[in-house]
Amino acid sequence: MISAIYDLALTTGAVRVIRGSRIEHVCGDPNLGPEKDYAYGMRIVRTALDAICTPVPGPTLFDPLEMTQEQEVAHAS
Amino acid sequence: MNSPLRVVHYVNQFFGGIGGEDAANVGVSLAEAPTGAGRALQQALGDAGSVAGMLVCGDNYFNEQESEAVAAIRKHLEALKPDILVAGPAFGSGRYGLACAEVCKTAQSMGIKAVTAMHPDNPGALSGWPDVLMVPTGETSADMPQAMAAMVRLAGKLGRGEALAPAEIDGYMPRGVRRVHDRQRPGYQRALDMLVAKLKDQPFRTEVPIHAPEKVNPAAPIADLPGATIAMVTTGGLVRKGNPDKQVAANASRYYRHSVAELQSLSGTDWEAYHAGYFNHIVNANPNYILPLNFLRDLEADGQIGGVFSSIYALPGVATPVAMSCDLGRSIAQDLVNSGVDGCLLVAT
Repeated sequence: MISAIYDLALTTGAVRVIRGSRIEHVCGDPNLGPEKDYAYGMRIVRTALDAICTPVPGPTLFDPLEMTQEQEVAHAS
Repeated sequence: MNSPLRVVHYVNQFFGGIGGEDAANVGVSLAEAPTGAGRALQQALGDAGSVAGMLVCGDNYFNEQESEAVAAIRKHLEALKPDILVAGPAFGSGRYGLACAEVCKTAQSMGIKAVTAMHPDNPGALSGWPDVLMVPTGETSADMPQAMAAMVRLAGKLGRGEALAPAEIDGYMPRGVRRVHDRQRPGYQRALDMLVAKLKDQPFRTEVPIHAPEKVNPAAPIADLPGATIAMVTTGGLVRKGNPDKQVAANASRYYRHSVAELQSLSGTDWEAYHAGYFNHIVNANPNYILPLNFLRDLEADGQIGGVFSSIYALPGVATPVAMSCDLGRSIAQDLVNSGVDGCLLVAT
């Protein structure tokens, strides 16, 4: 699931959560201008595809903004 | 000693002994001698009451011809004049649960007390709330003896005109009724008791229960992304421009499936967002923000994914009850599985 309200997605049990940009423009950011907007959106989508190729134990956040794409295991309780 | 209660039992075609799915279209009939589940009810009642009649109706008939079914049931209830109507238990069966909730409402509208039983996730539990008295059961009829016993206990109380104790004591699903009640000890003491119990790993019961979200088992990762078909779902309220399908902007009870087989990306001239939960104007200019078709097409052309699934799924994810969301989600997921899709990106606004 790609969502800007990723905390809510994690606490309600979504398994693979990708941090989106903003509620009004989840996959990209028009304020960046066309080129960077596209690059950011593509990065979000690639992160989502990485996520569905990665085994996870439970709700896990994938953050496109993190260079290492390291996963944070959410402590959703 | 109270006089025995006069009870009418509502059951579906299966528990009424008519048949299974093949008989789900039968209309309302009255069996005066209890059979099947009615016998179990009579047994649970013992001397406290007698089953004056068993109303049987096919689950499909009830749900497809509801007004006719309700009218027929009303007629029978007028003739039978029961003290109480017992419906079900419906366990996990959705159509049966919806019928039981509706039959209870019908009886109540005639001044007849009513009780039913079903699994808390049964859609009937949602439609019956908060007016219908419902006993929680398991998913299957293995729970029949406990469910009957609990319904009979409540039926007795209702029949004798006794006030019900709180849900957790009398064993029914909470109806959201709040009454002034003296718990004897002030809140801070009760809260500290709970905290101490929690620290000692001892059991305690919260006074403000929160419905915990369903745990979802993670799907296995995709092994071969360049060979995988990827689908897209959005809860961002994507509709065709002008909303010709007349989708709602909130509290959706259906989703729409659109073909994108011929499209390279979503354009604001053909698509827009209709969603009451956020400002839609940015998405209206570029709908790919809530359904990233343009990116997936580029990745498809580059060979990084096998293909983009020919259909997309859209609804507005706002102000929808959880049970309805679960139904819609299951239906979309089932459709994806049936279509052989390998993976799915869900964009939630």
